[in-house]
Amino acid sequence: MLWLCIRLPRLAHEALAAVAQRAASTADCSTGHAVMERAAVERAAIERLAGWAYQWTSLVSYHLADEPLLWLELGASRALFGGHAALLAQLEAGLTLLGYSHVCALAPSPSGAALLTHVDAPVGTRTPPQRCAFTLPQLRARLEPLPLSLLALPEAILSALQSAGLRCIGQVLALPAAAIARRFGPETSLYLQRLCGAASDPRPAWRAPAAYRARCEFGGEVHDTNALLFPLQRLLLEFQGYLRGRDCSVLHFTLEFEHRRHPAGSVTIGLSAPARDAAQFLLLARERLQRTLLEAPVSALILQALEFTSPAIVQADLFGSDAQRLQQLQLLLDRLRARLGESRIQGLQSRADYRPERAWDCVAPRHGHRPPRESRESGEIAGAGAPAMLPMRPCALLPAPRRIEAAPELLSGPERIESGWWDDGDAARDYYVARGADGARLWVFHDLRHGGWYLQGLWV
Amino acid sequence: MTAPAAGDPQRSALLEQLAQLCRTGTARRSTPAAAPSGFPELDANLPGGGWPIGAVTELMSDAAGIGELALLMPALSRLARTGRYIAWIAPPYLPYAPALAARGLPLERLLLIQTGSLQESLWAAEQALRCPAVGAVLGWPAHIVDRNVRRLQLAAEAGGSLGVLYRPPEAAREASPAALRLRLHAAADGVMVEIHKSRAGRAGLRLHCRSADAVAVHPLAAAGA
Repeated sequence: MLWLCIRLPRLAHEALAAVAQRAASTADCSTGHAVMERAAVERAAIERLAGWAYQWTSLVSYHLADEPLLWLELGASRALFGGHAALLAQLEAGLTLLGYSHVCALAPSPSGAALLTHVDAPVGTRTPPQRCAFTLPQLRARLEPLPLSLLALPEAILSALQSAGLRCIGQVLALPAAAIARRFGPETSLYLQRLCGAASDPRPAWRAPAAYRARCEFGGEVHDTNALLFPLQRLLLEFQGYLRGRDCSVLHFTLEFEHRRHPAGSVTIGLSAPARDAAQFLLLARERLQRTLLEAPVSALILQALEFTSPAIVQADLFGSDAQRLQQLQLLLDRLRARLGESRIQGLQSRADYRPERAWDCVAPRHGHRPPRESRESGEIAGAGAPAMLPMRPCALLPAPRRIEAAPELLSGPERIESGWWDDGDAARDYYVARGADGARLWVFHDLRHGGWYLQGLWV
Repeated sequence: MTAPAAGDPQRSALLEQLAQLCRTGTARRSTPAAAPSGFPELDANLPGGGWPIGAVTELMSDAAGIGELALLMPALSRLARTGRYIAWIAPPYLPYAPALAARGLPLERLLLIQTGSLQESLWAAEQALRCPAVGAVLGWPAHIVDRNVRRLQLAAEAGGSLGVLYRPPEAAREASPAALRLRLHAAADGVMVEIHKSRAGRAGLRLHCRSADAVAVHPLAAAGA
């Protein structure tokens, strides 16, 4: 086993500060509420981080102490991600992107890794070799010169050891375990054995919840949707990690806004194809938020997803790029829907009805999973839904027939349509092609039931 | 000594290119990509032989209903049959599904996008033009300035699609960066097309395009009379 320990020295602060920094002008941090329950904030943040880290390993564990610790067992998965160096680089880049300061260390035992995070090393972006131990002897060699005070033992025990003249960890480890157990209790002895990997150290594994709900509390209140984008980006990156970890995708997720004095509001962001890409989510959320009016300043943001689907994997297509085209269209449709609204994007289809105003239907756009050949055929059948012998129809229809004063200059006709006596749309009409004053070709009808001329279409 | 025989077709191609350059007075690179319009007289007079692909075309019609869409239908149907989508951004009328299907447009390749404002229309048009899955975008913007057209022009270039803007006839008085600008006038059995501006082509021509709609109307007129 190889444990990566991530120490997050400023977790609570950074979890709140993400908003405050970005929106210093808009976030009102001076409210009495600013003193949050630190523990609650930390717990929420590390729960989200655990979900994010789940994409790299099935064994994630955390411990909330003075400085929160997050452990990832990498021994089983490091080969998959290209070795521990590559994996570590990805992880650290991810943490930096999320905006958390972190110290990483690798060791065969969890406590050993936690202790190694305190090793001083030159400041750099990468985890230095001083904080990495891959075998038990190597771990012991790294631990031995370290000062006694780094041991995670009660203060009383540490001072007792120090007063006995011990200065570094190596000297403590050299003492017989039985003697330590007798003098300082069996827990101390067990801790030391676990530290160097001599005793097993089972950790409670974080379990991915079946429904995702991440809450990001702000230090203050945010008045402006733009200021929400930074914390939202963090939430979405963590969400992406969770989705990768569970190897699933979502078709929609919900953003909830908590207000101090108002009931919470929410928006749902839908996708036309299962996705788990944070950048895509952020783009859609931005469009959506731009047309969302906040009822009141927001004090917390919640990202929630209840339903998950298997991911859509687009395979490269040897003969043409139908799958790729489909994916591009889905991205376009998502963007349009996010900004304009779901109902504004439509497709059309024919219906078998003689009455022109009932011979069509709005449908959801069909970015069909059917092969194009088949869909073309069905399109032709749909086109012939009204019997194929019908005369030509104009391409433009008025939303409703418009009454006109007198019959215009008629060019051809009539075509009689009598239909619908069985429903509320009874029609008996004589249709003509007519010429308007401006040279336009019109499609007009004479109502045989009630008299009068109506304009219904244009030969555009 | 065999050089003249082998060089002849090359030479004539070169001469043609030279003539083309002389006509336009601008040294453009090769002929632009185009989608055949389906009207022989129009194709013969448009650079590349059809509607310019990856560019914006402006159609300025004297009135609504003189065959301004019929002019596009063959090209739209062909584009849609290659699997690309046709996006209609806020059309002023209802595109009539049975009629479109009868003219060969596969309905499942049709996207109808309603917008609430000009800003939204322009945004949606730009997004659609940029998407490689979309073959053509039709828009009916009310008042736009050439900055808007230039944005759409860039988007069309990026997406390799056919952008069509229907504009009022007054727009002909203003300059526009669109690659092709046509004025449309009513004609007895089709539409009279006046090439107002054609990048890398000739302007000022008046062409009479007989549309299938008008032809379909006349036999009936005889029967009904």
